[in-house]
Amino acid sequence: MIQYFLNRLVQTVPVILGVIIITFVLMYIVPGDPVVSMVGERYNEETVQRLRQEMHLDDPLSLQFLRYVGNVFQGNFGNSFITGEPVAKLVMDKFPNTMILAITAMFFAVLVGLTSGIISSIRPGSLLDRGIMVLTLAGISAPVFWVGLILVLVVGVILRWLPPTGFGGFEYLILPAVTLGLRSAAYLARLTRATMLDVLSQDYIRTARSKKLPEWKVVIKHAFPNTLIPVITIIGTDFGSYLSGAVLTESIFGWPGIGRLALEAILKRDFPVIQGTVLFMALMFVLMNVLVDMLYGFVDPRVRLERSRK
Amino acid sequence: MFRYIHLLILSLIFIGCTKELDYNTLTISYSADIRGFDPAFATDLRTGKVISLVYDNLVRFDAEMNLVPALAKSWSLSKTSTKYTFNIRQDVRFHDNTPLTINDIVKSFQRVLASSTASPQTWLLERISGARDYMQGARNHVQGLKIIDDSTLVVKLNEPFAPFIQYLAMPATAIINVNSVESLSTTPAGSGPWKLAKWERDGEIVLSSNIDYWEKPPEMEKMRIRILSEVMTQSAEFEAGSLDILEVPQGELEYWQNLNYKLLEVDELNIWYVGMNCSRPPFNDIRLRRAMNYAIDREKIIHILLNGSAIPAKGPVPPQLLAGLNGFGYEYNPTKALQLLQEAGYEKGLQVELYVAGGTGMFHVLEALQSNWATVGINIEIKRSDWNVFKTAVREGQPDLYYLDWFADYPDGENFLYPLFHSSESMVKRNRFSDPDVDIIIEKIQRQTETNTRDQLIIKANKMVADAAPWVFLWHSKTTYLTQKWIHGFRPTPIFNANRYVNIFKLAPE
Repeated sequence: MIQYFLNRLVQTVPVILGVIIITFVLMYIVPGDPVVSMVGERYNEETVQRLRQEMHLDDPLSLQFLRYVGNVFQGNFGNSFITGEPVAKLVMDKFPNTMILAITAMFFAVLVGLTSGIISSIRPGSLLDRGIMVLTLAGISAPVFWVGLILVLVVGVILRWLPPTGFGGFEYLILPAVTLGLRSAAYLARLTRATMLDVLSQDYIRTARSKKLPEWKVVIKHAFPNTLIPVITIIGTDFGSYLSGAVLTESIFGWPGIGRLALEAILKRDFPVIQGTVLFMALMFVLMNVLVDMLYGFVDPRVRLERSRK
Repeated sequence: MFRYIHLLILSLIFIGCTKELDYNTLTISYSADIRGFDPAFATDLRTGKVISLVYDNLVRFDAEMNLVPALAKSWSLSKTSTKYTFNIRQDVRFHDNTPLTINDIVKSFQRVLASSTASPQTWLLERISGARDYMQGARNHVQGLKIIDDSTLVVKLNEPFAPFIQYLAMPATAIINVNSVESLSTTPAGSGPWKLAKWERDGEIVLSSNIDYWEKPPEMEKMRIRILSEVMTQSAEFEAGSLDILEVPQGELEYWQNLNYKLLEVDELNIWYVGMNCSRPPFNDIRLRRAMNYAIDREKIIHILLNGSAIPAKGPVPPQLLAGLNGFGYEYNPTKALQLLQEAGYEKGLQVELYVAGGTGMFHVLEALQSNWATVGINIEIKRSDWNVFKTAVREGQPDLYYLDWFADYPDGENFLYPLFHSSESMVKRNRFSDPDVDIIIEKIQRQTETNTRDQLIIKANKMVADAAPWVFLWHSKTTYLTQKWIHGFRPTPIFNANRYVNIFKLAPE
């Protein structure tokens, strides 16, 4: 198991290197000049030249790249052009906020998604099933910013049940988490329903039923665990993308997370922060995928067996 | 299942109802976070505003745009107009309770200039004699900064320079506690009416009242500046009652005018314009530039699209700065525009690109401009990009036309002339306008310290620039603020750093 994990980790190195190269090249191809964001409206040309020199912006791209990679391998991600603070610190300050939001959103998605998926699958074609399916279709199709704004308007402004936006206690967490998790919830519901229907028609379910087991036991104990593989895949990849920041949700709700950090950095051409956040996001995503792969082993003995044979 | 939903809803209502209004905290919002608390790097409006809350300067602007005493009780200018003598207050303490001394003032200025600081704001202090030597490391002290005694500071300039005293009210010339500069970007070291309590990046800045302030401390105990990047979000928060003051976005003015809130309008010192690249065809032809100006129906655009919240610009300098600026300018006259175009040889019209950046609120305005110009045969293609790309392009002189605004650093006509139309500035970072006569008169304005003569020069320069038409002068916009019923004593100011939220307070509405 550990061997497998280590192997997977080693495989991520080329991915990360690729990410560094692509972001680096893209940053320098895209027009715009970080110095412009730094100096404001009134400045001397000397100031601009001095800053360019200090930031090594006039060096050849290859040299800048090598310097950056060298620093990264020493754990130095550089300092923000705008605030002068270490990028690692900026990212680590924001990460807990992003993490809380991601976990809550995923919790909501799993709770609502799996429950409604299972309920739907018990009586396919019923009114309840059709209702849930329509809702999930809406959930998948509705754009995140629209859902966010409608929630702010309805729950925050008209009903005044929750603070519209902001950052703080649990009451601030609900709306952004629902906004962020809604699509996953809808998708999970549909996926769970489809897989459940498939599983429920299998022979061993018939066997279970013929043993006169109560229906809930058949569903929960015998059918449900077999839907977990596709469900975990979705949870894993979605969670990975939540962890790498949800720019729209964070902007609408004024949530200080990684997504906004990255967006601001892009707007200001704060190269070290762009590079740092993208790298971090990629790392999170890859890590989640590795974790998901490992989880397969836990939920499905066949996967475990295959690995031990290798 | 359904029982639990009811429970959930009930608990939500409960949360909603228990939240009472906090009468000790003022809550406002910014659309983006500040850069930090180091005055030497305050290059944008928001950072400048916050710096002016937590720091003091030698002088500052009041709500009527007058320069008033701050750390300097009084000051005088020598006959040669090169030597300022400041009488410094002795009763000021920094937030960490150490006294603010004359040494701190000198060192604060030197810190901005020092090459090790790498501040982009050195231009504010470069005219002090010896500043250049200090910047290049030739001397370890700025010669023009002389401490006479504990309360007297003399600042000597290389030559007379009238705007200098106003520079001393700018964020970058704020006085810092020089003994705690290590973490200045995150921890302010000032003496202002507000202290920093908490800064959650991209979340909020929380300030608390400095009750030991040497002047009147703020009425409110706390002030929260929330960072809300979406305009919609800001409006929603205001409507929910969790923001006390809202700067109304241009497109929403009509909506809010119909609701029951207190609306406050302020003529900000600004100008919106279309810059024309004067150093190459087609806009090196003054007839074409004037035709561009005559073709725009400013009154109509302001009335219909801007809800009347602007005044037409007749030149670069905003009329509220100086009496006598009005009375000329480009009226809406398409016939004259056509005639000028014909003279310039554009009977068949022309096709140009207009560079535009950012925000969505101005689309309808751009379309109106586009259609105004189209009626006289000037076809404009709008080229949109993000702010940074746009600014880089303008700096490099790429656009023939660009739509932009200018907000004053300090309330002086010079601030609408030198940085925009002096060839040393315009040629390297703006629309490449160069006119030796304009340069000469702007330099005279900078040297002249006698008010009346100076005002006349500004009026003349304003007219010269208007005549040369390097821009399409559009309008000076007003900013509208909304305040909740319980807010009292709020007064928006035309200059960005004049409002220190000291007199504002909350009172339960009856």
